[in-house]
Amino acid sequence: MTPSVPDPVELAIFRSAVHSIAEEMGAALRRTALSPNIKERRDYSCALFDREARVIAMGDHMPVHLGSMPMSVEAAVRALPLGRGDIAVLNDPYAGGTHLPDITMVLPVFLSGGTRPAFYVSNRAHHADVGGCFAGSMGPAREIFQEGLRIPPVRIVRGGVVDRETMDLLLLNVRTPEEREGDLGAQIGACRVGERRMLELAGKYGEPRVQDFIAGLLDYSERLVRAELSRMSAGTFVAEDALDDDGVSDAPCRICVRLRIDPAAGALDADFTGSSPQVPGSINAVRAITLSACFYVLRCLLERDAPATAGILRPLTLVTPPGSIVDARSPAAVAGGNVETSQRIVDTLMRALAQAAPDRVPAASAGTMSNLTIGGVDPRTGEAFTYYETTAGGMGARPALDGLSGVHTHMTNSLNTPVEALEYAYPLRVRRYGYRSGSGGSGRFRGGDGLVREIELLAPAQVTILADRRRFPPWGLAGGGEGAVGRAVVTEAATGTSFELPGKCSRYLEAGDILRMETPGGGGWGQ
Amino acid sequence: MRAAIDTGGTFSDCVYLDQGELRVLKLFSTPSDPAQAVLTALRQIAPDIRIDLRHGTTLGTNALLERRGARVAFVTTQGFEDIIAIGRQTRSALYDWLASVPECLVPRELRFGVPERVSAEGEILRSPADAELNALLDEVRASKAEAVAVSLLFSFANPATERRVAEALAPLGIPVSLSSLILPEFREYERASTTVVNACLAPRMQNYLLRLEERVAAEHQGGRVDVMQSSGGIVSARLAAQEPVRTVLSGPAGGVMGAMRVARAAGFDRIIGLDMGGTSTDVFLSDAAQGGVRRTREALVAGIPVSVPMLQIHTAGAGGGSIARFDRGGMLRVGPESAGADPGPICFGRGILPTVTDANLLLGRLDPSSFLGGTVSVDGDRAEAGLVEHKGPLATAEAFASGIIRVVETEMDRAIRVISVEQGYDPRDFTLVAFGGGGPLHACSLARALRIPTVLVPMMPGALSALGILLADVVRDHARTVMLTGDAVHDLADDFAVLEKETRREFAEEGLEGTPACSLDLRYRGQGYELNVPWSADDPARSLAAFHELHQQRYGFSDPGKSIQIVSLRLRMTAPADPWEPQRRDSRPGDGRSARCGERNIFFDGQFLPSLVYRRDQLLAGDVLDGPAMVTEYTSATILPPGCRAVVDPFLNLIIDVRASS
Repeated sequence: MTPSVPDPVELAIFRSAVHSIAEEMGAALRRTALSPNIKERRDYSCALFDREARVIAMGDHMPVHLGSMPMSVEAAVRALPLGRGDIAVLNDPYAGGTHLPDITMVLPVFLSGGTRPAFYVSNRAHHADVGGCFAGSMGPAREIFQEGLRIPPVRIVRGGVVDRETMDLLLLNVRTPEEREGDLGAQIGACRVGERRMLELAGKYGEPRVQDFIAGLLDYSERLVRAELSRMSAGTFVAEDALDDDGVSDAPCRICVRLRIDPAAGALDADFTGSSPQVPGSINAVRAITLSACFYVLRCLLERDAPATAGILRPLTLVTPPGSIVDARSPAAVAGGNVETSQRIVDTLMRALAQAAPDRVPAASAGTMSNLTIGGVDPRTGEAFTYYETTAGGMGARPALDGLSGVHTHMTNSLNTPVEALEYAYPLRVRRYGYRSGSGGSGRFRGGDGLVREIELLAPAQVTILADRRRFPPWGLAGGGEGAVGRAVVTEAATGTSFELPGKCSRYLEAGDILRMETPGGGGWGQ
Repeated sequence: MRAAIDTGGTFSDCVYLDQGELRVLKLFSTPSDPAQAVLTALRQIAPDIRIDLRHGTTLGTNALLERRGARVAFVTTQGFEDIIAIGRQTRSALYDWLASVPECLVPRELRFGVPERVSAEGEILRSPADAELNALLDEVRASKAEAVAVSLLFSFANPATERRVAEALAPLGIPVSLSSLILPEFREYERASTTVVNACLAPRMQNYLLRLEERVAAEHQGGRVDVMQSSGGIVSARLAAQEPVRTVLSGPAGGVMGAMRVARAAGFDRIIGLDMGGTSTDVFLSDAAQGGVRRTREALVAGIPVSVPMLQIHTAGAGGGSIARFDRGGMLRVGPESAGADPGPICFGRGILPTVTDANLLLGRLDPSSFLGGTVSVDGDRAEAGLVEHKGPLATAEAFASGIIRVVETEMDRAIRVISVEQGYDPRDFTLVAFGGGGPLHACSLARALRIPTVLVPMMPGALSALGILLADVVRDHARTVMLTGDAVHDLADDFAVLEKETRREFAEEGLEGTPACSLDLRYRGQGYELNVPWSADDPARSLAAFHELHQQRYGFSDPGKSIQIVSLRLRMTAPADPWEPQRRDSRPGDGRSARCGERNIFFDGQFLPSLVYRRDQLLAGDVLDGPAMVTEYTSATILPPGCRAVVDPFLNLIIDVRASS
């Protein structure tokens, strides 16, 4: 039987229903998690998938997870015979993950009497530590084995009961086990919230109609993308950008893209051939991240509330050279691929797209998440702590609009940790948090300013920075100026002297030392 | 005598009790001087007896929406002046490169830093010198600010420095709002934002409310003024003038309370409210067994976080004026763009894009002759031509119009789910109370979609908000952040006694006596959000059990073995409003024959069906009407689809069984 095409009205109803389920999972996760990174910064995503592991709805959470979560679901389904009441957990970038701190859970939804899953619900959360050389698991490692615990797809819940053996294995390998267990519990709860609501939805419509709606929704997303592409000029647009270095050597890491737009077919080819081979440092991106970057850019061409489904990727042909910085192979280190390289891939895609649609594409934004992790022992409790934060920068100026200041752009949208939550949770004191005046690029429309954040350590700790745009500033468009590059400075309590830290490094600092982060501004637009 | 007036954009509704009988007065609002309509109404009721006025006003909401508040100086800990603009460093539109954002309420030149610091534990690490505070005074004076918001880091843990700042700025003679008084809770941005909103509204609201009270007192034998808060309780004008941030949703809160009272009197304790206006629709859920509508402290008003308690009212961006279109993917969309009052729907003569109202008109669901009492002329031919022009791939204008209705009802359906299903409530256990211009038009089919068995269209749906204000309790909330372990639940009696004493004193100043209700904000140790559960001295451990149950219900898991943290104690003092029983009419069997005023074709499920039209004001208690039918009144119309049966109850509410078969 050929699936019947659902009418536009029914489809709109279904679309709202599945989107709200993904949002509801996110609310449950944030309200029950323990770590500030999840409960305050909302560094997570929740999504729903059909029986073939195609994404049908995703909450408005973290764009970097857009294209990569489906791969987690696929990997879990491939690796495990998931039964009723099971939940799979995984983080291995080479088996469905992106970088180790992002732990993904996948729950198969069985209808009553069903023998195979009718849907999957999934969530991914960034954990503030998953072990490895560096507190916070975001350090300048040289191979993935140093970056923390690798979890292939395994079951953390079996038949509705948490598998203590798996849980204990995970918890023994991390610095802050109590917090991790709480966060994992919150992820399990959020999966169950999603399951309950998907079952209600299937009960309301019956499975055959739901499958028709899913097919209709994916087709709809595809049509939206093709309609946008068909309005663009035909041609091949080439662009290049670079990361400063990999934290091991000084060599820049190139990202190259060749974008071919075929308006007649409503199709887009993105070919990353020419990008640097994978590097010894930790900024390698697995292919899932490159796919996410493409997904994000396509999604931004659509209306604000267009659904983020697998259909968006149908018009795309993606070519990534295996063993490159945009398609890394084991055992390359990958912590920064998800947070830094992902941003540069977006920058490169937008630089190419600006040639095709100059009136729709902003200049380069900060282009780094300025990742900071601090770990040690809290003298107030005697317990280990790990703090993770990303600091926003300036947004690139838009055609006809200034860029926004101090705002997360592109692949992330995590919140800041409130100073009052941070100091309550960690032996740290924030000394300053404000705009970095004058850091936005000049131009007819100005790039947004970056931020300044100063943190004083109240206990000795290991401090790790993973940041970029120190050498190659955020570029302007149409003659606009460059944004200021980022920097990090430590002032030592003992000597009173200050010194600059490189973009990717890890240091032991003492109580009283002050770390000052200055994030890049956005590029300007127009002269 | 007591009277309530809800001042809206177009009408000011006035409700009062005259020897137990409820009376309604409707006047045009006077936006340039809102007090004028208020005083006119009071004079019309009774010129020279004492009247105590209860007031709902949109003055605050509108000032925020239109960014017309006072020029506010923001004073915070040095080094953190920009936090009010940075917010949480996120963008609201995730996938829109060209989105613009509203300006921060406080521009750079009005942000001031104080050299001071308090630690997370409440210890003062650095205290500003008097000279530094004097310098601040000079700077703020030079900035020509009209109000000040002071929000220092960790002031909820130790408010001493904020108080010193307030004293230092007192010579300016302008309103100073302190975060440690407005919202003594952690998260600096949300607390600062709430304090700034308060400061922004303070000069205008103080001026308005205090002058209004003077004039009411002068004209009406020393009558007083009280104001409806967003939380659904009444406060004195004096307190409302100090804390105007608590009244930003004054009018909608009145609607909630009115719907609850009317439903309760009619015997319905669990309701979902549906208030559909021109550009948006408000929905809420109330379960009398759980204390009515839930309150939230995470609301956004005009895009700005306002973290004082508000009734949980969810707004969907769809109303009668919402515009319908097909997007590039071929999907039918309705709203959030609205035709507003100008150009308005096509059928009003100037609009060119099809709206929900045009669709309702084409389908026979609006009666042009009775629409707003016939004062607005409605052009059906124009609406039809417009719908034909924009119908896209659909075969007929009727198919397009009915699609628009279904999509807009889906938006409302979704909004109702947010407040019901997503919170763990089953809509089947509730009654849908429909009011506002559009609520009764869509209520029956919405109820069917959500499997809600009964719809209640209240008597006088146009004055429900004023009624709610008239009948609301006087409420004062106090909270204290304590951060204790769960075992301490047994040792809280003394702390609650202190809170109770303070609140009783406040009530005594107003000549009131109240009843306290105690509750706790609890969470599992380490979580960032709390659940509120009742606390009683008789069985304090019950609070912990209730928390585990609620956590399971909301979030899919709970763990009685985990340690619980007591975050805050809350005490709510309530002085109940005067008892009120709506007038009960004698009921007798009837079929509404005397209220029939015609017959028209109305579109239901793919075809036009001849339907009887009734006048609401002619219906009598005991009348039973079967769909397909329509009941018209001044501000609204109720549609009864086939298979629905409406009964006029002794209070003249329409009680509709949507499952009855004809």
